[in-house]
Order: sequence, then structure tokens, then C-alpha cells
Amino acid sequence: MKSTFAIDLEKMSRTANVGIVVLFLLAGAAGHFASFYFHFLTVAFFLLVLLNVYWRHVQTSHALLANFGWLAQLRYIVESIGPELRQYLFASDTEERPFSRVKRAEVYRKAKGLDATAAFGSLLSYDRTELKLRHSFYPVDEDELEPFDVAIGASRQLDTTYHIRHPIMISAMSYGALGQNAVRALARGAKQAGATMNTGEGGHPKYHLMEGCDLIFQMGTAKFGVRTADGRLDEDKLAALAALDAIKMVEIKLSQGAKPGKGGLLPKEKITPEIAELRGVTMGQDVVSPAHHVECVDAESTVAFIGCVQRVSGLPTGIKFCLGRPDEFRALVQEMKRQGTVPDFITVDGGEGGTGAAPVSFLDEIGLPLFEALPLVHRILLDEGIRDRLAIFASGKLISAGKQLQAMSLGADVAYSARGFLLALGCIQALQCNQNTCPVGITTHQPELQRGLDIATKAQRVANYIEALHHDHVELLAAMGSSSARLLSEENVYAPSQGPVSWPVREPS
Amino acid sequence: MTHPKLTYLAQGVAALLLLTAATMKFVGDPGSVDLFERLGMEPVGRYGIAITELVAALLLLSPFAALGSVIAVAVMCGAIIAHVTQLGLVVNDDGGRLVAMLVVVLVCSVYVLISRRKQIPFVGDTL
Ligand SMILES: Cc1cc2nc3c(=O)[nH]c(=O)nc-3n(C[C@H](O)[C@H](O)[C@H](O)COP(=O)(O)O)c2cc1C
Repeated sequence: MKSTFAIDLEKMSRTANVGIVVLFLLAGAAGHFASFYFHFLTVAFFLLVLLNVYWRHVQTSHALLANFGWLAQLRYIVESIGPELRQYLFASDTEERPFSRVKRAEVYRKAKGLDATAAFGSLLSYDRTELKLRHSFYPVDEDELEPFDVAIGASRQLDTTYHIRHPIMISAMSYGALGQNAVRALARGAKQAGATMNTGEGGHPKYHLMEGCDLIFQMGTAKFGVRTADGRLDEDKLAALAALDAIKMVEIKLSQGAKPGKGGLLPKEKITPEIAELRGVTMGQDVVSPAHHVECVDAESTVAFIGCVQRVSGLPTGIKFCLGRPDEFRALVQEMKRQGTVPDFITVDGGEGGTGAAPVSFLDEIGLPLFEALPLVHRILLDEGIRDRLAIFASGKLISAGKQLQAMSLGADVAYSARGFLLALGCIQALQCNQNTCPVGITTHQPELQRGLDIATKAQRVANYIEALHHDHVELLAAMGSSSARLLSEENVYAPSQGPVSWPVREPS
Repeated sequence: MTHPKLTYLAQGVAALLLLTAATMKFVGDPGSVDLFERLGMEPVGRYGIAITELVAALLLLSPFAALGSVIAVAVMCGAIIAHVTQLGLVVNDDGGRLVAMLVVVLVCSVYVLISRRKQIPFVGDTL
């Protein structure tokens, strides 16, 4: 059935195209015979007609414009401001992705140190499709709780054993993905709160070091900052970095949730003298981040490489990955046992993780979600008997204490967040991290845009956020009747049968 | 197709001439007043055009030169209409110097417009 309201675009645009010519002639006549002021219109329509001729008959790259002319351009304009319109006017408070306005507002509130109570009820659809924490009939007093303390490296009796004192750490984001103000604000905030920050794979952490917080040095697959010219590990450079006071641990990145199994390319245009120096690359040529460390081609070589980094750095050393195949992970763990080399921690990054830039197909379609991967990793480590020799860090949208405790119940010891901290810095989710145009000056190197990011103010917000998360952590834990997150288990979460976790958690056969 | 250095040169020349023209109108130079009287636009039109020229000149010297060039082209088109339809090519016995200047500004701003067409707000992406 043909709708009576159907718009005949072709007819309308034909009228529109002829219309502007007619209007041009009318304005010209009026300008000539009535008042010269009409010629303002004459000129405007003249330029529009010229433009329209170009669109209709010269250019070939826009079919809509060639077929319909200027009316179609209105569509492009409306389309180009669509995301803003939707964000400001039409999207409901719980529907935006990756973080809904409700979830973002919660981080902003914590970061600004505002009262975090709300009235009347939850704005989320509180139903059987979401993970929830289970509370106890018998809550404990908050002062009966053990202080949060996770010791990394203790099982190897390292004298560099590091104690993590907050349930949340700042996950890897490189200087490069972030501008220097953002890095310094995060680092200063971490310092203020006594929290731990990951440097990301941006090479020598010059700006992180300025603020004196505890750092986890991340070694990406290109080993920026500790690489030889051909991208292998430069042991001397790693040893020198590891000797720095601020650097407490090393994280070998095997993969990341937003783009597991994907390398990257640092185009030569982006390599400033500073970047070249910090990352240890030469100017004037593209640098490839391979999809895997050149040293790691199978379980055996990967475990050997972990052992090598542990030996060279002398620090607690772990690996970060996004889980793909549990059977591969089990084989890796068995190889660890065979060689007697166990990483001091494992970071499990959910496929929903964030990034400065990744192909959409990778963002959307590859990698296990955190709440599926985490229990698998935990269970395999238990099965193989090495769970007590290492800690599990978890990341993937863990921006509230509740989500963090859910992760801890499913096996994590400490939570990591990247985007939570960007929100604390004032991120408005403009989704332009890869364009150097971040309107709030976080993921940009343009001085004019970074100007708005005041390091002292934002550092305070970061510190507030960490402390508010810790505060919520304690309150929730008390309500769950548990004196430490260490004691949580799968029993402490409610996982709906059609929910995000296969339950009971098991390895697919 | 266009050369960056030439683009900057064209921006400078166009802006300079536009500033001169705007100043003449603002101070009420008898020649300008006479022309606008003949168009029936004295004094509102004279000041209006002067302000537009000033804005175009300043934009041409700023990062928004593309927008400036659009405005400059528009003003020059208007001026050419005026000279062709009502004022004549030679005004106040200047041997056509005023019109020649117009053409120079027009050519320069068209050059800027072409080389910076991608930066024109809203439509730049399609050009
Ligand atoms: C801007 C940005 C840059 C990132 N850079 C890195 C990086 O250099 N190395 C890495 O392993 N992960 C990187 N990540 C991923 C995060 O460390 C983290 O694993 C992921 O975003 C999940 O945490 P979230 O959901 O709390 O953001 C980056 C994420 C963002 C948003």
C-alpha cells in the first residue's frame, strides 16, 4: 500500500532546484526596479545556484547531491549534527553507549565530591537480566573490615613486592592517546589518593614520572621505550626503567579488549621529536606495533619471555590480555607450571574495553566480555593449582564500586578502569579520541584544547573518584557481610539465567 | 591545483583592499557617499557594506579564511551588479580604477575560496 504521506523527493527537489533560479531572477528584478537592497538576495541566490550546478553536474562523489541538488545537502547537514542532537535532545538517560548518562553522571558526582544519594528508585531497568550483588542478612560493621591490601609478587618473596591499597587502579592509557595535561592530572590524582596508575604503552613515562605516583610500566607489543631498533626487548633499557623509584610493576601487554589480536601503526606524521625520544623510534618512518610480541609465538616462548622480563626488571611482572580461547589459556598455564614461571598478576580485559582508536569490527565483534572471561580464567587457574600464586586484575566498564565487586566475586583481586577515569577528568563521551579534537582536552595534543584541562582541579577530581569508589566498596562489602573482597566468590553474585555469564561458569567443551 | 603560498598572498591582498574600501566608507569619503546615494542606500547601506567588508577582511586574516572568502565573493558580486546595472564602469572620473580594484579582490577571494573550499562550514565536505 502506498502511503499518502510519502514524500516524492524527486519532485520536491526538482521544484527546489528550479525554485532557486526563479528566486534569483525575482530578486534581481526587484533589486533593479524596486530597491538595490534586494540585490543582497540576488547575490545569495546566485552563489547558491552556482553551488547547486556544481553539485548536480560537476562533482561525482555524492550521488544524492548529483541526483537531488541542494535539498539533499540539508540532509547531510542534519545528519552531521545528528549525534549532538541525539545526545542533547533525544537520547534517554539510560540508553547511550558505551556509558549512559545515568552512569556518567554517577562518575561526575563522585569526582566532584557531591552527595551521591538519589530518591524514589533506580533509573536502570532493575530486572533479571543484570548481574547483581547478593547482600547478607548479617551485614558487618564497616570498621570490622580489613583494609584493602593486595600484595603482588609476594608468592615469589620479592623484596620489591608491591601492595595495592585501593580496589581500583588507573588502567593503561598511553601518553600519545592522552595529552600531557590529562596524563599529569591522572598521575597527580593517583598520587593524592595513594593509588596506582598504569603508564600505557607510550614508552618512557616522562609525564607520569613528573607527579611521583606509583606506576605500573606497560610494555606493548612494540615495546616502546624499551625496544631495540628491530622491536625486540632492550634489556638494559628495561632494567634502567625498572630501577626508577616510581615504577613498581611491569605489565606485558599481550592483547587488549578493544582490539585483541590487532597490531597498530604509528604513522610518521605523528612522530614528533618528543614522541621519537620517549618511544625509542626513529623519525620519518612509520612504526608498526605488531599483533604480538616478536618473542612470543607459542606458549613456550611466551612463558619464557615472561620469565625474562621478571628476571631483568626484578619487579612484580604480569601479563594483560583479552580472553579468546580458554583452551589456549589452559595450555599457557600448563606451560607456566612446566617452566616454573608464573606471572605475578594477570590482567583480564573485557572485549567491551575502550581504546584511543580501533577498527569498528574489532570493537564490536571480537573478544570475550569480561564477566564471561573472568570466571573462566579464575577457574582454570584454580584447576591448575596456581591461583594463589598470582593476582587477577580486571577491566571493562568497571566504573562503579558495585561492578567492581561483581568482578571481584567472579575472581578478580583488583579492578582497573580507563574510561571511568576519563569521565572523572571531564570526558563528555564525544567519541573523538582518535581525531585529536577532544573537546575537553583529554585525548588531544592541541594546546588550545588542552588549555581547558586544569591539572590541579582535575587531579582533585581523580582523587575524589578513587576515594568515593573505595568508600562505596567498603559500604557494599559490609552489606554483603564480608570483611574483605578476598573472601568473595561466585556465591556473592546473582547471575540471571539469560544474563551475561554462562552459569554455572564452565569451560565450553 | 592551488598553491598554499599563493593562497596566503591572495588572502593578504584581498584583506588589504577590503580594509581600504571599508575605511573609505566609514569615514564618509565623498566619492563613496555619492555612489551610495545613486543606489538609494545612503547611509544605512554604506555602513552595512562597510561592516561586511571589515568582517570579511578580518576573517580572511584568521583561521576562518574560507568563510571570509565566501563573504568577500558575495560582496564583490553585489558591487559588480551595482556597477554594471547602475553606476557604470568609470565612476568619479577614475578611469575604471575602482572597478579594477573590485575585480582584483574578486579574483583573490575566488582563489582563496577554491583552495580552501574543503573548510567552508557545512558544505565543505562535499566540495
Ligand atoms: C584512550 C584510551 C587509551 C588506551 N590505551 C591503552 C594502552 O596503551 N594499552 C592498553 O593495554 N590498553 C589501553 N586502553 C585500554 C584500557 O587500558 C582498558 O583496558 C579498557 O579501556 C577497559 O577499561 P574501561 O572499560 O574502564 O575503559 C586504552 C583505553 C582508552 C580509552
